[in-house]
Amino acid sequence: MFGRNKSDSAQVLSGMKAKHQRYEALVKAFHADIYRYAFWLIKDQSIAEDVVQETFLRAWRSLDALNDEKAAKSWLITILRRENARRFERKQFDTVDIDDCHIQDDTQHADGDLKDRELQRLLGGLSVEYREPLILQLIFGFSGEEIANQLGLNKNTVMTRLFRARNQLKEALEKQNEQRGRVNG
Amino acid sequence: MDELEFRRRIYADPETTDSDVVEAAKADESKRSFWNEQKQLDKQLKQALKVDVPEDLASKLIWQQSADEFTRYKRRSRWYLAMAASVAFTVGIGLTMWYHQPLSIGGQALAHMQYAEMEHAHSLLPVDLNMVNAKLASFGGSFSEMLDGVEVANYCHLSTVRSLHLIVNTPQGKMSVFVVPERGDVSVPSEFADGQYHGESIKMKHANVMIVGDKDADLSDMKKAVSERIQFSA
Repeated sequence: MFGRNKSDSAQVLSGMKAKHQRYEALVKAFHADIYRYAFWLIKDQSIAEDVVQETFLRAWRSLDALNDEKAAKSWLITILRRENARRFERKQFDTVDIDDCHIQDDTQHADGDLKDRELQRLLGGLSVEYREPLILQLIFGFSGEEIANQLGLNKNTVMTRLFRARNQLKEALEKQNEQRGRVNG
Repeated sequence: MDELEFRRRIYADPETTDSDVVEAAKADESKRSFWNEQKQLDKQLKQALKVDVPEDLASKLIWQQSADEFTRYKRRSRWYLAMAASVAFTVGIGLTMWYHQPLSIGGQALAHMQYAEMEHAHSLLPVDLNMVNAKLASFGGSFSEMLDGVEVANYCHLSTVRSLHLIVNTPQGKMSVFVVPERGDVSVPSEFADGQYHGESIKMKHANVMIVGDKDADLSDMKKAVSERIQFSA
């Protein structure tokens, strides 16, 4: 009887160990991409970090619900989007006058080389409904169909938004080049 | 595929492998260069999206998981602790109830009788009416007249009930008279006995009097004497 209990608890322990290893693998594989996704969604470094922490905490607590390792990415994104939405629900209760508060936008003074900074500013300037499908495509390599599933939109809407996002970026870049050309010329 | 549709498809997904898009690009030099341009921009965008990840983020995520597990474990053990406390509490309540359940003190009186044989007066003073009445006063009672042959008058505890124990020498042998104040949780049997002694009790207004004597002794004289002489003030 004691022998059995011992092996049971050994099993529980090794089960816990396996869960830890699984979680750590999940962190290592996805934390960078998930953080970058959060950053481009939220445009604030410290809020993005908080949301990522909350996301992984929830992921840990319901790790047993994740059966398919291939689905991990989209599972984490789903949790993160929910956490981000909760942030706005919470905010509704303590509303402030929008003019009174300084809106942080870390994309407007991100570092990196000149070209990067320019693109980062432009990406940050896109509205979130265009920006989000684009970053899902660029960061996670999602297809139009996968983005549609993730965001709960139909595929045509997603394709249209991706098209408009790139179109806006292209136009903005051309405009800048024109201005620069005029200044230089 | 016209120019607009081609651009639309490329903008939507520069990595597309759709055959009609590929065919259209093969057939048209300007479409091809537009596509390459777009692929180039996408490369730059991917690069631009790679903002620095906080250096310690991965460790933080792993740390907070073990911290969460620890607090949950603690919460779990607190649950067990609460359970144990509740069991202890229940046992405590149970014991108290059991301790307070009505006592039957006939057996106690018999046990005390055994000692009465060996009992000596604690004080050398003779046992007289004043002394007995002084002791009885705390129960609100008094004897109008002294019983004959009282040798010892002591307080004693029958279980948890403090009572006055008189040891009386009578023609029928030694007898004990217990004056037991009335208490709601104490039941006094009207008759009780063991192999050696037997006892009877008299129920009075504010107390019970138990008389215990040898098993063959006739207690009726003593009963009569006590009930005639003792009285309790209201």
